[in-house]
Amino acid sequence: MFYKTSPQLFISILLLLASYFICHVTLAATVTTGIDEQAKLPYWELKDQGMVLRLVQRLPIQSRAFFLARGFNKQQAERIAQSCVFQTVFKNISDEGSQPGPLSYNLRDWKVVINGKQKGLKVREDWMKEWQAEKVTKPVQLAFEWALYPTQQAYKAGDYNWGMSVFNLKPSSKFDLTVIWTQFGNKHKETIKNMECAADINPQPEEQL
Amino acid sequence: MKRTLSLIIFIVFLFNSIYSHAEKNQTLPKLTKPFPAVDFSLQGEDGNTYRLSSYRGQVVVMNFWATWCPPCRDEMPAMENLWQKVKGKGVVVLGINVGENADIIFEFTGQYPVSFPLPMDIDGKVIESYPVRGLPTTYVVDPSGMVTHRAVGSRDWDGDEILKQLMQLRKVR
Repeated sequence: MFYKTSPQLFISILLLLASYFICHVTLAATVTTGIDEQAKLPYWELKDQGMVLRLVQRLPIQSRAFFLARGFNKQQAERIAQSCVFQTVFKNISDEGSQPGPLSYNLRDWKVVINGKQKGLKVREDWMKEWQAEKVTKPVQLAFEWALYPTQQAYKAGDYNWGMSVFNLKPSSKFDLTVIWTQFGNKHKETIKNMECAADINPQPEEQL
Repeated sequence: MKRTLSLIIFIVFLFNSIYSHAEKNQTLPKLTKPFPAVDFSLQGEDGNTYRLSSYRGQVVVMNFWATWCPPCRDEMPAMENLWQKVKGKGVVVLGINVGENADIIFEFTGQYPVSFPLPMDIDGKVIESYPVRGLPTTYVVDPSGMVTHRAVGSRDWDGDEILKQLMQLRKVR
């Protein structure tokens, strides 16, 4: 065998293979959780080769205040606030690697699994039907539309969005989220387990510290 | 000797691979299919009227934003730096605010001072005429009036690579 006649060459090949695996195998999808530094609230982050998705809890009181300030009435703001809202950032980070590639997704493909049952997210278009039926004024609809995470998007390397995604669950609900996206010519599917909607609490100043 | 060489090759390869994953070179993505820019005329927060077609022959950086959008706010200082670098050199920056009025924008510019024009798309008609899906989105219009580049999300607008790309686009006629 050649490893007996030329051990140095054999070691070189092994080392090159090892470095390849260190750099590529470690890029398999990972999910991390913790407290978001800016929001001071729990986050769930899915990272795979070329993409990163971070979902950060939003307290109902934050969503309530945001949408009241945009012109919704109390009942409408309450409906949004009680629907499990997450701050969402989905980035195509393939510009940080050696293989830039476009990324696309459709939130309608994503699945929320709660108590063994599957359901979809409540996306912009679902809400807009309600606002139109309730004759919400155009500037208010406009603010809502752009505040929510895009239902579909195609990102080139370096692109990302920031917005709110609504899971249509009660505060404090626990669920799994199946995320589907396309990148590098392949459809990817990963599940973020044990996510939790924010509780409907009204933190006092001393609790926020 | 050969073992040392192997080790050096391994270390160089490893560092090269790791560096290639960490490196971030911000550029403006080119559109696969450039399209003609849709003309508009909007009143600015300063009371002036801004018409896109009046900038024909120049490169226009057209940024759709809102005051409540954190990444929009984040990129404003870099956009202002870009404006200071390109002003009078054939590149124009337009910050098109979506859905807000002059009072809100005035208050915002107290915290984020910018000197480039801020046209107001109060009824959202202009943003609807472009294929925008999220804020911020920035389009680059070349001197012939074609939209050639798009950036979704914030960018380091005052970075060398982006500046170089914009300056090169001035040559398109």
